[in-house]
Amino acid sequence: MPEQTTVDAIVVGAGPAGSAAATVLARHGYSVILLERGSFPGSKNMYGGVVYPRILDQLHPEWWLEAPIQRWVTRRSTMVLTDTQAVTVDFRSTDWGAPPYNGATAYRPDWDHWLAGKAEADGALLVCSTTATGLLRDGSGRVVGVTTDRPDGDLHARVVIACDGVNSFLAKEAGLYGEVDAANYTLGVKETIALPKDVIDERFAVRGRDGVDIEILGGTSGVNGGGFIYTNLDTLSVGVVLKLPKLGAQKLRPEQIIANLKAHPAIAPLVEGGEIKEYSAHVIPEAGLSMMPTMTADGMLVAGDAAAMCLAAGIWLEGVNFAMASGMYAGEAAAEALEAGDTSAGGLAGYERRLNDTFVLRDHRKLHRAPALVLSDRVQHRYPAMIANTVERMFRVDNPSPKPGLRRILNEERKRAGVRIRDLAKDTLDGLRTFG
Amino acid sequence: MRIAVCWKWVSLDRDHDVDERWAGVSAADEAALEIALLLRDAFDDCDVEVICLGPKDADDVLRSALAVGATSARRIDASAELDGHTVSAALADHLHGADLVVCGDYSIDRGTGSVPVFLAAELGAAQALGLIDVDLASAATMPLRVVRRLDGGRRELLDVSLPAVLSVEGSVARLRRAPLAASLASRSIAIAAVPGPHGRPAEAEVHPYRPRARTLPAPTGGPLTRVREILDIGGDDGHAETVTLDPPAAAGRILDQLREWGY
Amino acid sequence: MSGAPTGERWPELSFEDLIATTRFDIHERAHITVDDAICADCSTRECVVACPANLFVPTSDGGILFNYEQCFECGTCYLLCNKEGAITWTYPEGGHGVVFKRT
Repeated sequence: MPEQTTVDAIVVGAGPAGSAAATVLARHGYSVILLERGSFPGSKNMYGGVVYPRILDQLHPEWWLEAPIQRWVTRRSTMVLTDTQAVTVDFRSTDWGAPPYNGATAYRPDWDHWLAGKAEADGALLVCSTTATGLLRDGSGRVVGVTTDRPDGDLHARVVIACDGVNSFLAKEAGLYGEVDAANYTLGVKETIALPKDVIDERFAVRGRDGVDIEILGGTSGVNGGGFIYTNLDTLSVGVVLKLPKLGAQKLRPEQIIANLKAHPAIAPLVEGGEIKEYSAHVIPEAGLSMMPTMTADGMLVAGDAAAMCLAAGIWLEGVNFAMASGMYAGEAAAEALEAGDTSAGGLAGYERRLNDTFVLRDHRKLHRAPALVLSDRVQHRYPAMIANTVERMFRVDNPSPKPGLRRILNEERKRAGVRIRDLAKDTLDGLRTFG
Repeated sequence: MRIAVCWKWVSLDRDHDVDERWAGVSAADEAALEIALLLRDAFDDCDVEVICLGPKDADDVLRSALAVGATSARRIDASAELDGHTVSAALADHLHGADLVVCGDYSIDRGTGSVPVFLAAELGAAQALGLIDVDLASAATMPLRVVRRLDGGRRELLDVSLPAVLSVEGSVARLRRAPLAASLASRSIAIAAVPGPHGRPAEAEVHPYRPRARTLPAPTGGPLTRVREILDIGGDDGHAETVTLDPPAAAGRILDQLREWGY
Repeated sequence: MSGAPTGERWPELSFEDLIATTRFDIHERAHITVDDAICADCSTRECVVACPANLFVPTSDGGILFNYEQCFECGTCYLLCNKEGAITWTYPEGGHGVVFKRT
């Protein structure tokens, strides 16, 4: 009979949430095992491509000196596409290309590997190639560890932090999720496309380590969602995010939707001639606050995608920062509970308090209407044409006809797009209440 | 009884530079260890030692070898780009006295598979290379019965007496997984390292491949005859035949033939 | 949506070539299994169009042919599947399955 392995804390999943949690616990001097099912941290993880690491100031000051980033985002564009038109709002700031920076493009197999390495350096024990297959519970139902797919793979701990990603079977097993509804999820699919660095610099009008983040509305072949292009050093991340039930209810496959986006006259000149280096996909917990699970159980916390921490609010698309922050707060709360000798749900309540007091849940509460609004049929299918046609007529010189007034164009285009005044007013108000 | 398993640790990343994330040993090397562990159970009082050529980064795979049950592990500290002859000479120094040496048929950088050949020569041992099966039951009675892949789907059965050098393909066995506790315990084990060869291999002269010219007679007969002539499969020895079958029957016929050829 | 012709030919990859850019360390245990008998009664078959790895293939006899090997482990199929018990979904053996490199 093998000896029972017991540690203070088990963190399941060495993604951004798990590594942050493990770092905090290790720094408090607790024994912590960081389980990763991939052969190295980050090998299972995929995202659009931009990380906002400000929260790392608290965990790894001057992180930018060593973090494995591709480019600093100094230029952000929002594009609205119809079949033949494109309206782009473009912003750039040199400030974002210097410390303390804002956003950066990075590969997750690099980023997550680096963060996990920091946790290891602080004393966490990283165990790769090991899948947590379930929870260990005592007679009262309290979580006391996890089972793994290794021989004699049971692990015991005083607290388990589930950072096991969007599918979090551990959170589901613990009964922290209600009914799982596909409508709360989107599918992210992307191609990593190689181009020489100088070609990328030229096409996207950037230099050195500066990079571009382009978010696209209307480029998803009629499936509710959005598109994106991000510049890495010598590759582009080009992809789409697709609302699951809508994707399932039509005929185009995800890779065809990317191909259509890449063939759009406004996109093709940016991406053509590149060599596809990798094709990847991942599910995103899109619905924010409305889909979040209960965050604590007796002996267990949930953080990152496992707790549906992605912020998908149209102009703000963030996930890794919410994962790192929630992991960090989970680590702090777990350390506090271990110190007090009470890791029941009550003893772990410091976690939810921290989430509520910080941007993690405050942003989610403030923007709780955003995911539904951004993915709504009007925003997805009617407004792009209305906006693009309005702009086209504003800028068209139609001599000898005199210029029509902007109000008249907007009104006519609204009607042509089939948008009722009442709905436009309602969405405008919703938008103001959500983002204002 | 002493079984030695020889590993080659290679680091290959996405751009073929050094990167620990894509470093390790090949599936064939792992299969070699599994075969050694399985054979150990058939012999009385048998040790399995894993010897790995590589830099300090290779210690992790040796720890994992200990975690799955190898008796001991040793690293020969050596640089990466060494030719098969240098590698086998360095390994042979540590293999005198081994009754059986098991190697992988290839490393992750797809080497030439020549190290086991040189090893057998250095050790004066029998060799059986590129194995696709090892009959574990035969270990009790000896000689060891193994199966070797030949061209054209043919198989060679070999009876091997000890001392011997075997090299196995990755499909022979999947390495067992380390128990969690053993895996955790192995983390703190220090791996013994012995000095080995360093430096780059001598540059060999490389010539483009030139097939020998071959004279074919002017074509006679129909296209099928011509194809047979070019492919050198003759007309009468029964190797090629033309059949007219409906699709299910045709698929069945192909499967039967493939089975007959040993696939 | 169909883009206007750009005049240049995009080197279109077949799906097989596209997914061949991704690395998979395949284990012999199928981590996802599909109950063909249940799929035979399914009229929506959302998995067929939605699976980003194109692992669900309808067969001529009305069933679903499923391959687990080149799976992104994303979860789309079980989230969309509306047939109880049709898809049994787990993660692959630790250290196996998809290995992302630059995404």
